[in-house]
Amino acid sequence: MDEPLALSVAAPAPARVRLVLRVLGVALVLAGAALAGVELGRIGAWPAVLSRLALGAFGWGPLLGAVQGLVEARRAAVPSPALWLLAPAGAAWLVGWALVSLGSARPSGPVPVLTEPAAGSVSAPLAGWEDFHLGTLGAYCVGILGAELVLVLVQTALASASRGVGWGPPAAFGAALCAGAAVAFLGGFVGAARSHKLSAPEATIAVLYLGVPLPALLTALPAAPGLEAVLGPRLREVIYLANLLGRPELGYWLVFSILVLALTLGILTGFVANASGRLDVRAGFELFVARRHVHVFRPRLLVGALVVLLLGIVPPLIVLGILRAAEAAVERTRIRELGRRDPLAAAKALHDAQERSQSPTAMMTALSVGGVGVGVMALIVVLSVMSGFEVDLQKKILGTNAHVVVLKYGDQKLGMPEYPEVMKKVGSVPGVVGMTPFLLNQVMVSSENNVDGAVIKGVDPATAGQVTDLPKNVLPGGDIRWLSHPEDIPVRTRYKLEKPPEDEVIRAPKDARAGPPLPGILLGRELAASLRVLVGDPVTVVSPLGGEIGPSGPMPKSKAFRVAGIFYTGMYEYDSKFVYVGLPAAESFFGIPGATGVELKVRDVDDARRIASTVLAALDGYPYRTKDWGEMNRNLFSALRLEKLVMGIILSIIVVVAAGLIVATVTMLVLEKRKEISVLKALGVPQGGIVKIFLAEGLQIGVAGGLLGLFSGLAWCLFIEKVGLRLDPEVYYIPSLPVKIEPLQTALAVLIAVLVTYLASVYPALRASRVEPVEGLKAE
Amino acid sequence: MAFVEIRELSKSYWLHGKRIDVLRGLSLDIERGELLSLVGASGAGKSTFLHVLGTLDAPVAGTMRVDGEDVFALDDADLARFRNRTVGFVFQSHYLLPEFTALENVAMPALVQRVDRSLAMRRARTLLERVGLGARVDHRPGELSGGEAQRVALARALVLEPPLLLADEPTGNLDPVTGEGIHQVLREVNRDLGVTAVVVTHNEALARSMPRRLRLTGGKVEPA
Repeated sequence: MDEPLALSVAAPAPARVRLVLRVLGVALVLAGAALAGVELGRIGAWPAVLSRLALGAFGWGPLLGAVQGLVEARRAAVPSPALWLLAPAGAAWLVGWALVSLGSARPSGPVPVLTEPAAGSVSAPLAGWEDFHLGTLGAYCVGILGAELVLVLVQTALASASRGVGWGPPAAFGAALCAGAAVAFLGGFVGAARSHKLSAPEATIAVLYLGVPLPALLTALPAAPGLEAVLGPRLREVIYLANLLGRPELGYWLVFSILVLALTLGILTGFVANASGRLDVRAGFELFVARRHVHVFRPRLLVGALVVLLLGIVPPLIVLGILRAAEAAVERTRIRELGRRDPLAAAKALHDAQERSQSPTAMMTALSVGGVGVGVMALIVVLSVMSGFEVDLQKKILGTNAHVVVLKYGDQKLGMPEYPEVMKKVGSVPGVVGMTPFLLNQVMVSSENNVDGAVIKGVDPATAGQVTDLPKNVLPGGDIRWLSHPEDIPVRTRYKLEKPPEDEVIRAPKDARAGPPLPGILLGRELAASLRVLVGDPVTVVSPLGGEIGPSGPMPKSKAFRVAGIFYTGMYEYDSKFVYVGLPAAESFFGIPGATGVELKVRDVDDARRIASTVLAALDGYPYRTKDWGEMNRNLFSALRLEKLVMGIILSIIVVVAAGLIVATVTMLVLEKRKEISVLKALGVPQGGIVKIFLAEGLQIGVAGGLLGLFSGLAWCLFIEKVGLRLDPEVYYIPSLPVKIEPLQTALAVLIAVLVTYLASVYPALRASRVEPVEGLKAE
Repeated sequence: MAFVEIRELSKSYWLHGKRIDVLRGLSLDIERGELLSLVGASGAGKSTFLHVLGTLDAPVAGTMRVDGEDVFALDDADLARFRNRTVGFVFQSHYLLPEFTALENVAMPALVQRVDRSLAMRRARTLLERVGLGARVDHRPGELSGGEAQRVALARALVLEPPLLLADEPTGNLDPVTGEGIHQVLREVNRDLGVTAVVVTHNEALARSMPRRLRLTGGKVEPA
């Protein structure tokens, strides 16, 4: 060994290369700018763009200004030129800046092996521009923008999930704010810990360029109707809640500053934790070790577990047993054959075969992966089916009910005679796509054979279709238009449907024979069946109130109608309880002028609450009030959500059991690897590193199981959806099991499972870190 | 000031309620670049001493200064860093990590220090070639012979060029010829890199060939 052992450590990217990068970058930037300039000159947009560039001192201001100027100039230019040079110009500009930043960054290349600075030493907190750290910038950007997006998404999801459940939008906002702040904190923490410094420039850029736009957009939204139509539905919960404050923009900026505060706190904490050397966010080495230890992402294991999850446990095991036996027989024959010729090679082959047989820990690992997979799969399938039921129910409810109703405080009898004006005002609210007046009351319906209670609704046949599916739900043979044209209703004879014949007078009521025709009425299928009537039959509607006052209180009032159609919504309650008549007939029958209220259809069902509040504002509030569909059907949906929650909790127990399996598996791993832990400690892995290794092992099991569960769960859902499980429609009122895969809920199931398994491996990992270095080295 | 200063080091065990004093006020100075052998009867506490020297075990009393730093006052993270940067271990058994190839095993201390993966592997490959195992880089420890595994372990101990190399009967399980190869490498490392090496051995011939010889008896060291 004549040469010294010292190796030349690869020098950081040579200064020459970096200079070239910088020069190249500047050249590209200039080229891009020149291209853009030429293009702007060609279309004569210079003055406009320049005037806009002067706007705005920082942030997106110049860029937005430039774009706006360009758009205006383009609009002015006749004919509109193709902007084919701008795309390459922009690309060159971006690439140029990227090269400049690459060339200027202080090389963070390989650290010389023996001269790495001790953890305590940290570069200056407020570093110069050469220390600009792209990774840190990325972490901060993800932190602040992710926090905002997480806040909006979580709040939207929670608020719509909690529709009808006790804790409403404020609680959803609280949870969302916590989640958002956590994301911001994490972003700041990771960013600062990675770069070992506070990195004020990166933080400023992240907050200004990626943090400010969203609250600014929200503040500007009321002033820009076009923007509101696009973004309103997406940001509905945020806007709704902020509007409750009265000064929404205050709310937006307050929340924004809370997020920035969380980011700052994260940056400080990360900086301090890293500078004190207590924390090392890097985990490359630990993952490297953990992957070898557990080795979960083997095609064989994954495919096996997936097959078990999809087909059940027995058939694959039988197949596996047969395959194993066959394989072993072939192997034995081969080794015996080999033994005749080359005993030594045979011994080695035998040894290898024994090596290959799995250790109990590997078996446990496979079981844990399967356990987590089963839990996640069950969660996904059951929750998706329950969502399917919910969506089905929602569809039926919304087919019959309006998304939003406008009502009026005060005596029902007074009605809302001014409904045409109301409709005019409401029609201008963005998001409202349909309106119809209605009148609601309780009545008894009697036929020759039976009597039943019902809710009677006076509707305008011309506009009812704008809001509900009533016209579509009328079964063939009937027609909603007959409500306004009762003379067209065929009068049913005992044997056939036809226009009232002259000679059939015995069964037809007196009114049918002479005078004006009976007004039409629509009955639900179940009600029609219970009354034993068909289209063309007469029914009598009796209102307990509404008649004159007699000696013993109000006299019931009755009126004959003719069945103009039978509808079928698929909801037993509606089909057995609702009857529809024309609005004028209802008005005259109940003596209520105008209507009870106006029903609205909105563009986005989930946006109904926000639009309801906008509608109310357009009507100047009192004496009007609005109700959205969630509020109207609160009981039903809250029962459904509660059921889903309970189901979720029960199924989560499977995941918890799987977590127990993971505790056992990782503990076994720790016991099996005692010696390795000692060796690693002797090589200089700190306790934190050992913890990370075993946490990573648990996490791998969780991730593998979660992904398997996700795939098999989705596969089952697809199977149920495509092939379908038949239900008895007489009992369930739907022909087959509905399935609705909700991405957020599915992701949450996987995420929770992974989180639980991660937490499950904390205890064994801590135990592993406490293994004394000499412990494993002595046991020989 | 000596490179390693050990003062009044004591170490005891409790075994079945009985106290066993292994080291009793041991004091020793080791100069930088020394090559010394440590002999002693079985059970005299040679391995314990070496473990304490490598901070794998903590003494009940006494101090040890390496390069002027009181290592037993360090906390876990700094102690780990000390083991990683300053000490290289070779044990009687190779103690290679079974899931990793010879190359990865050798690179492990560098990886612990988060040296770039490819750089660490290059370094490890060079070292393996030095100890004559260039053809065995992708073998797992289970596929290596005892001598080969021990040479891999030696390469692992040297990959970060630690100033202090501790070897606990590195050739105890090997045949004399193979063992002599290991000794040769030890001497070369000491001579070429100035690595301070402490070699615990039963091999009298090897011990005699070392410039400084120590014997551990009665919980203390004395020149042999």
